[in-house]
Amino acid sequence: MKTLNKLVAIALPALLLAGCELGSKEQEQVGFRGTAMVQISDPDSKAKVGDIPAPPYELTAEMIAGDRASTAYENVPVLGNVSVDEFNYLMQAMTTWIAPDGSNVKDAGCTYCHNPENMASDEKYTKVVARKMLLMTQNINANWKPHFAGQGADQENAGVTCWTCHRGNPVPVNNWSSAVPDPSTITGNKRGGNTPAQTVAYASLNSDPFTDYLADKETIRVGGKEFPTAASKAAIQSTEKTYGLMMHMSQGLGVNCTFCHNSNNFAKWEDSRPQRVNAWYGIRMVRDTNNNYISALGDVWPANGKGAYGNRRGPHGDPLKVNCATCHQGVNKPLGGAKMLKDYPALKGAAPVAAPAPVVAAAPAPAETAAAAEAVKPAA
Amino acid sequence: MAYQNIFTQVQLRGELEAGVPLGPHNDERFGPFGTSWLMGKLGGAQLGPVYLGKLGIASLLSGFIAIEIMGLNMAASVNWDPVQFVRQFFWLALEPPAAKYGFTVGVPLNDGGWWIAAGFFLTASILLWWARTYVRAKELGMGTHVAWAFGSAIWLYLVLGFIRPMMMGSWAEAVPFGIFPHLDWTAAFSIRYGNLFYNPFHALSIAFLYGSTLLFAMHGATILAVGRYGGEREIEQITDRGTASERAALFWRWTMGWNATMESIHRWAWWFAVLTTLTGGIGILLTGTVVDNWFLWAVDHGFAREYPATGVVDPATLPGAPQ
Amino acid sequence: MAVLSFERKYRVRGGTLIGGDLFDFWVGPFYVGFFGVTTAFFAALGTALIIYGAAIGDTWNPWLINIAPPDISYGLKLAPLKEGGLWQIVTICAVGAFCSWALREVEICRKLGIGYHVPAAFGMAIFAYVTLVVFRPLLMGAWGYGFPYGIFPHLDWVSNTGYQYLHFHYNPAHMLAVSFFFTTALALGLHGALVLSAVNPAKGETVKSPEYEDTFFRDLIGYSVGTLGIHRVGLLLAMNAGFWSAVCIIISGPFWSRGWPEWWTWWLNLPIWS
Repeated sequence: MKTLNKLVAIALPALLLAGCELGSKEQEQVGFRGTAMVQISDPDSKAKVGDIPAPPYELTAEMIAGDRASTAYENVPVLGNVSVDEFNYLMQAMTTWIAPDGSNVKDAGCTYCHNPENMASDEKYTKVVARKMLLMTQNINANWKPHFAGQGADQENAGVTCWTCHRGNPVPVNNWSSAVPDPSTITGNKRGGNTPAQTVAYASLNSDPFTDYLADKETIRVGGKEFPTAASKAAIQSTEKTYGLMMHMSQGLGVNCTFCHNSNNFAKWEDSRPQRVNAWYGIRMVRDTNNNYISALGDVWPANGKGAYGNRRGPHGDPLKVNCATCHQGVNKPLGGAKMLKDYPALKGAAPVAAPAPVVAAAPAPAETAAAAEAVKPAA
Repeated sequence: MAYQNIFTQVQLRGELEAGVPLGPHNDERFGPFGTSWLMGKLGGAQLGPVYLGKLGIASLLSGFIAIEIMGLNMAASVNWDPVQFVRQFFWLALEPPAAKYGFTVGVPLNDGGWWIAAGFFLTASILLWWARTYVRAKELGMGTHVAWAFGSAIWLYLVLGFIRPMMMGSWAEAVPFGIFPHLDWTAAFSIRYGNLFYNPFHALSIAFLYGSTLLFAMHGATILAVGRYGGEREIEQITDRGTASERAALFWRWTMGWNATMESIHRWAWWFAVLTTLTGGIGILLTGTVVDNWFLWAVDHGFAREYPATGVVDPATLPGAPQ
Repeated sequence: MAVLSFERKYRVRGGTLIGGDLFDFWVGPFYVGFFGVTTAFFAALGTALIIYGAAIGDTWNPWLINIAPPDISYGLKLAPLKEGGLWQIVTICAVGAFCSWALREVEICRKLGIGYHVPAAFGMAIFAYVTLVVFRPLLMGAWGYGFPYGIFPHLDWVSNTGYQYLHFHYNPAHMLAVSFFFTTALALGLHGALVLSAVNPAKGETVKSPEYEDTFFRDLIGYSVGTLGIHRVGLLLAMNAGFWSAVCIIISGPFWSRGWPEWWTWWLNLPIWS
């Protein structure tokens, strides 16, 4: 019996610790001392950024100033104003970013989008998508700066490239599509949740927090005034939906709730961190992206089973769309904050195109002058 | 090490006790069934007899139906797959009706009706059990303190599942049946109503909950400590104070300056436990009906702490804010 | 006076751990002892420091007074008094006072010839406190992880600590602790009620005996744990509530940094069904 006791005494703690993250943690205090607003992560289990591909070759100022692409190529409505040299440079980068040569992607390389016999042709749907994606990228970089370029950060080169989402995959590894509606019977009916879903970090909350908030524009805010009014709406169930979105956001960025909020009062902006403003713009940016660039492609996306390169739609038939994890991939600054955009000026985008420009608020004022932020005209 | 009075070292076996005889209009008891050595290590070894009775059987039946409704609905939700039922069990739920049904009874079974049914049978089971605790005490000529304590817990249960949803006009406010789902409900409740820590009745309830734990640790330890003087014979010590009660009282008097008696400690115990659920139920009932945001209520009443402002402004209030 | 009718015969010499006869006396109903002196010292100093902290703070509102720990950036060093050092010294005083109180209880037990169960149980509570303000900060490498001393401010700490793990209810040790807390309250209510129902019977009835207590519970649920057993059960339930609380917080941070729902993936990914 004594031997058995000894064995149990050794094995039991070992078993219990097996589900643990041992070792010292990375820590960052983000609030007043004693409020427990801290970011804690285990260096071994947190998301890694991975290597960022270098530019295909050096892009000199001479090359940028060369003849326009529209003079050399046909059917270049988006990049016609870019120089031929820069155009080719960008094309090469894009193949590396989306369908790299030497990968196991079918038709990897230029032919993923182009018919090599007729490079101008739009016969492959991937080329039509890519064009829309270029518009989308330029839109994000030009019109959604408040999402990623606040707090005096280097606004000049903050932004995204195709790599930010795709990372060498034709379809970004993190995407979402609407859940198939529950049946009207009780059989197989999870009522939209009650499932260990990765989308909500394995809580039993609603497993699709995206359709209502990142495609549709339903109100995310819950929490009322001091006393109930006739307008006090949000019930527990909609609060759970908001909570589910927040779980995704936390997981997608590799942060916890205190990254943005002081949970003693989630709603109050004056007690929240500036990152919450970034998140607020991020949600609108994602809605813009999903509605005006991805869903807007409509029938360009092949039906499931019909496309040459695999499924582009979810089980409910809607195209695969963007959420926080698509870009962030478990890190609060995508790519660890690396500024790829400085090497790809063509992606920086021009004046507001499709979506209305968000007003850029002044950088959060210090406490003494926190009265009202002024609206600043968007950079042209 | 000396004997610490936690586990019984020598278990006595005698004739199994049939229990105090009941009055004429009671049913026969069922059992006793023998003894359990394992139970005897900690407390009484005898198993049974049990009084089944009409109230008891009705309560068990009703409760069984409730559990079956919950379990079968959960099994249905995973397409009756037994492996997935076990694997996903903690996440599975039987949810109340959606908000659109308000607080009516005519909700389709597959759209929240089963929740109402399960809730009905569970409530019936609990109320029948309550009646049982009352009648069993009465039949033995004892006070009905157990029933009234149980009543406080039933108050909280009814507030959560019935009274508050009724006052809010929506079944959707009620708690789902399910291990993790009812925890999601709890968190969402606090998030929606401005942080329940600032609800003064929530604070009181917690104080009584922690106080109950403190009290039972104190009282349990005290009685065990005077076990060598027969301290656990509390009734005899109440009616005829012996050295056990005297030492127990003096321990606390010398420690903290005052003491309870062998009887009054049980009144402290009863009230702390009862007030836990009593104040808790009040706190839940006031939420969403009288107060919609407890943090703002606390600010208004001067007990919410201000931390240094961050200078952040709600972007939705800026002109031209996108949707 | 402060002496009960039966008390005098119990006020004997002896039972002390330290100090012999020097502090072996009573002040009113309170026993002093060596550890009574140390308790008074630590408690007075700690209280004075809290009052000083309130004085240099922004409010005298008792709900809002906040003695906050240092920033995490101070690591395990002693911080400047006004930057969390005060909290650190108050914590030392608290630990000193609590341990002194427990040891004083031991002396009282020895003098009265009773078991040490009460100070042992109190030790579990002290263990939980020390876990929160010493062990966990030590494991994390910073005193800043301790909770602030303030009635409502400490609740802000609880809330944010919970949300560091996205949904703290999913912490398995927290689930155990909560279950033990609720069960303790249930058992306390039942025990208090049972004893009172026996000695305060229905009108016209005589006081009942333990046979009635056993019969009531056997009638009700088919089992009665008995007069000694219920006190063991109550003590063990309460101690487990404290123990698992300490476990649930020590694993949060030092042994797990992601959301607590995610911890359950070990179950979801068991080879038998994945």
